[in-house]
Amino acid sequence: MYELLLAGIANVAQVKYLVPLFFGTLVGVIGGALPGVTITMTIIVVLPFTFGLDPLQGLVAMTGVYVGGSAGGLVTAVLLGIPGTPSAIATTFDGNPMARNGEPGRAIWLGVWASFFGGLLGGVFLIAATEPLAKIALEFGPWEFFSLFILALSMVAGLTEASLLKGLVSGCLGLIVTVLGTDPVMGQERLGLGIEFIKGGIDFLPVLIGVFAFAQIMGEIERRGEDARGAVGAGSRLVVSHAKVIWEIVSHPFQLLWFAFIGVLIGVLPAIGGSAASMMAYDQAKKISRRPEKFGTGVPEGIIASESSNNANVGGSLVTIMAFGIPGDAVTAVMLGALTIHGIQSGPLFISQHPTLAYGIFAAYLLAHPLMVLILGVAARWMLRIVSVPKSALFPVVLVLCVIGAYALNNTMSNVYVLLTFGVLGYLMVKFGFPLAPFILGVILGDQIEVNLIRSIMTDPNPWLFLTHPISGLLLAASVGSIVFALWQHRRMAGRTAAAEADADF
Amino acid sequence: MRLSRDGWAGLAVLAASLVLFLLTLGLKPSALVPVGPGFYPRIVLGVTALFAVWLVVADFFAAARPAPLPAANYAAVVLHFSVFGVYVAALPGLGFRIATFLYVAAANALMAPPVRGRDWLRAAALALGTALATYYVFEHYLSVLLPRGRWTDF
Repeated sequence: MYELLLAGIANVAQVKYLVPLFFGTLVGVIGGALPGVTITMTIIVVLPFTFGLDPLQGLVAMTGVYVGGSAGGLVTAVLLGIPGTPSAIATTFDGNPMARNGEPGRAIWLGVWASFFGGLLGGVFLIAATEPLAKIALEFGPWEFFSLFILALSMVAGLTEASLLKGLVSGCLGLIVTVLGTDPVMGQERLGLGIEFIKGGIDFLPVLIGVFAFAQIMGEIERRGEDARGAVGAGSRLVVSHAKVIWEIVSHPFQLLWFAFIGVLIGVLPAIGGSAASMMAYDQAKKISRRPEKFGTGVPEGIIASESSNNANVGGSLVTIMAFGIPGDAVTAVMLGALTIHGIQSGPLFISQHPTLAYGIFAAYLLAHPLMVLILGVAARWMLRIVSVPKSALFPVVLVLCVIGAYALNNTMSNVYVLLTFGVLGYLMVKFGFPLAPFILGVILGDQIEVNLIRSIMTDPNPWLFLTHPISGLLLAASVGSIVFALWQHRRMAGRTAAAEADADF
Repeated sequence: MRLSRDGWAGLAVLAASLVLFLLTLGLKPSALVPVGPGFYPRIVLGVTALFAVWLVVADFFAAARPAPLPAANYAAVVLHFSVFGVYVAALPGLGFRIATFLYVAAANALMAPPVRGRDWLRAAALALGTALATYYVFEHYLSVLLPRGRWTDF
């Protein structure tokens, strides 16, 4: 494994990979720092640029975007008090007060170095866990895969913050998208609805691009608010003693490990994302602190917890896509799409069939971290100028790039029509309070669920085999368990809200 | 009728899944696969319909109504979707460069209405820059062929 990793690092260290990795990380840092532009939107914008590259170049660039974006959000969170990405929300709580207290450099660099160490710890997990997990998945038959995908879908539906029922409906809507067009087993036409661009089936990438880009951009347009500016001046001095800042982080190794562990764990669970990881780690930091009352006033542990778990989360998300072919979040879903465009199937066979690609991704992940530190070190003070780009200029350009991304998939307008259709649907879903994550996972996994269901029936039509095959039965039991847990959690939260309201009344 | 937007959404999903379910009944079975192409869609649509009914019933009997949507500029959203729709419709006819120039200029002007001559120039420069830069980068460096106009041949 280590020989392959070293070979991967030597490979990615070549100029032809280092250049896309650098630009990917740079674009990720900028996209992450821009309030209102998520990492998902940034990677969607980068996607069409990867079509003309070789698969590893494209994936290396996307890995850079993911790592850079996860750290970039901290710049605006600290200096402006506006999180550049949702995953930097918890960084705002202590980062901005610390900057306002006259230590913007310390706040920024605590975040950057915490991202660095957290990300590398996530990388250790990524490299160590992917191959063993993929080997386990290789033992799976169609029953186990079917049950695994059902588990992923039910977990996503249950773990989203919206109601469980809406999460389930959203996941089902995603599955419905995959039954339109053609049957994935025999290629027989079905449910084309007489619409030309549906007849051949619907690609998941334009759906994903449409749903996320429009939900985000139209959400911004309807608010029409201008961002608050000027918490800390653009001319602030960000110079610090790096040794001192690094010591502040590594002098509490168990805390750092714990925060990174939270990040990895949340990353492995599909579609929960970096914001939940950083919030949970922040909450944990507060609980284990000797001075919890100081949180929110600029304590370093708050920044370290948020940023280390947020970047460790990236490693966790990459594990699920590389070992099982299940995207951990929307960003890895786009990476999955990029693989598909190049005719590469992700999943348990990915690491054994494409070791150069797999270890290239590991290497890119590791190398993106020092690049991220370098970029933020050089560019942090200019970042405030970049993030003041007016949205009226940014959003039309982003949508044009979305059109190119959809069109270039197979050089037809069909995918552009899909992009628009699902853009409208995604916006409406957000307005009606339906979570997008289960929908997207349904679109991605729908065909695989059907193929494995039909394969299992063709092998043996006995439906009880889904329960009597031990791993399959266990996965289905876990699926039911995740729904029951979600129901219990939602009821508990509803109970707490009701109790709080009752207290307020009296 | 005491349904909130959750209930109406549930009814819409129910209607869509029932219509599609009925359409699956017309699918011919396959000779090679023991279950036909309608087998899996029927399961998915049936489960969706059940969840949709649950959503409607839960909304009907809910003690508390979901919070109303916050006031927002929905007219701007409709307008932007319309402009984007026109752009998508015009792409095959006008071609990428002309359609993109017009779209970026229009969308930019809608979001930040130009007041002075300089603002108009800025919108035009952004539109021209976007159309030409994306065309040049994608066609020349990334081998992505962008749509040519049927009417303009450009």
